[in-house]
Amino acid sequence: MLHIYRRLWQVNWAEQWQYRANLLMYLLYWLVSPVVYLAVWITVANSQGSVNGLTANDFVTYYLTLLIVVQLTSDITIHLLASKIQDGTLSGDLLRPIHPILTNILVNNIAFKALTFIGLIPIWLILCLLFHPDFSSVTFSSLLLATPAIVLGFTTGFLLGSTLTCLAFWTTRVYAIGEFYTALVILFSGQFVPLQLMPPTIQRLAEFLPFQMFCYVPIEIILNQMPPEVMVRNYAVGVVWLIISMFLFNWVWREGVKRFSAVGA
Amino acid sequence: MYILRLLSAFFKVNVQMMLAYRADTIVNILINLMWLGWELLSLNIIFHNTTNLGGWSLGELIALLGVFRLVNMLVAGLIWPNTEKFNASVRDGSLDYTLLQPVNSLFQVSFSRMVIWRVWDLALGAGLIIIGIRMSGGGATPFNLVSFLFLTVSGAMVIYSLWIVLIAATFWFIKFDNNVTILQALLDSGRYPATIYPGWLRLIVTFVVPIALATTVPLQALRGDLNGWQVLLFLGVSGASFLVASRVWKAGIKKYSGASS
Repeated sequence: MLHIYRRLWQVNWAEQWQYRANLLMYLLYWLVSPVVYLAVWITVANSQGSVNGLTANDFVTYYLTLLIVVQLTSDITIHLLASKIQDGTLSGDLLRPIHPILTNILVNNIAFKALTFIGLIPIWLILCLLFHPDFSSVTFSSLLLATPAIVLGFTTGFLLGSTLTCLAFWTTRVYAIGEFYTALVILFSGQFVPLQLMPPTIQRLAEFLPFQMFCYVPIEIILNQMPPEVMVRNYAVGVVWLIISMFLFNWVWREGVKRFSAVGA
Repeated sequence: MYILRLLSAFFKVNVQMMLAYRADTIVNILINLMWLGWELLSLNIIFHNTTNLGGWSLGELIALLGVFRLVNMLVAGLIWPNTEKFNASVRDGSLDYTLLQPVNSLFQVSFSRMVIWRVWDLALGAGLIIIGIRMSGGGATPFNLVSFLFLTVSGAMVIYSLWIVLIAATFWFIKFDNNVTILQALLDSGRYPATIYPGWLRLIVTFVVPIALATTVPLQALRGDLNGWQVLLFLGVSGASFLVASRVWKAGIKKYSGASS
């Protein structure tokens, strides 16, 4: 099995290298929103000293950490898999004696992540020079404590993203549902603004949803802003959602493949 | 007159194309509304924590959102689909047929594809602008209103000119599929006034990819931040950029050698 993953990695890594210009454009596209929101909140914080206890530096460190964390936890399954289900090319993958999602799609996701990450590092360093963040609250142990959260966030995100894409077995097209899901993620993950600035209802909901693991929880742990008892509770919620998303994905995949009619192929 | 008849012919063809996918159209409009809800919610969250954003009131930001919608309509409804068609036609050589026709090539390349349902954005954008102006007290003088309208149109011209230069670049570098991604990428910056951005970002969105000229500047005119000379300067810049762009286009056409024939 390990051998299969190694070979898949080589193939997907080479494939991603082919599109490195696209990757840069994707990075640029993806960077603009967080930088704009950062500018918005710095303006607000500077005009009144702080926002709800958050200073300008708190926003700078939050959004700069966000750029890295979201890059690590994000999932692109819908872009890889939806078209395969739609045009029927998934049939070829189904013939192989390995699970197509948990091998090829997963490794492709990670290869994409690795390459965009390499592109992100120099841009991130430039942004650090431009925004002068004070990262003194970050310690080695906070990074260590946040690592499982990032892995948990990616795994849950990958499984939920795959579940969502598998709805294409019934609906053929899933991009509209995908866009709706993206809006939910942006709203509840803390990608738009640190969750403590959200209206109280959204904050309460976010505590019970899987999305804050994609962004808010790892960031707050890295920045040493999360009290231990809150962290434990968030990890517990995260693990519950991991189990739920595993069951969901398994079920949707099993029922979906039964229905799969390979339209067009 | 001739141009108008051609435009209406393009329009009819594209309406027929849209009617082939009716359910898609409805879903797209719903998604569009969802993002509008999201934009208003984010403004609500920001103004829950402050009374003004770098001197801009909530009403002014809603009007800015309206102008942003119009620019977005231009990019998503016209620029994006025509770019896809253009890139494909340079690669496979079918641009030859466009050039052979006795109509201005730039006109054809710019208007042959339209995403018709985006007209919806026009109504939405206009609505947001009117609501925004009302909310900010409606204290705009006739001069401010007129210069706002002129600068909105001229800002769109600047974006259009930049687009012409970007796609014309394809004539020199055939493999340049990413030609307009940079425009799309920076578009999101148009939702907020460029005056609050750090200097380097303001430089980029004003001079490199002038999104701010099409969104922030018209709003500044509406607020009365610009004097007559500045308004004239911006109108002049947009006229000049269109002239430069059409020159670049002509040079590009000369350079084009066809791919298949």
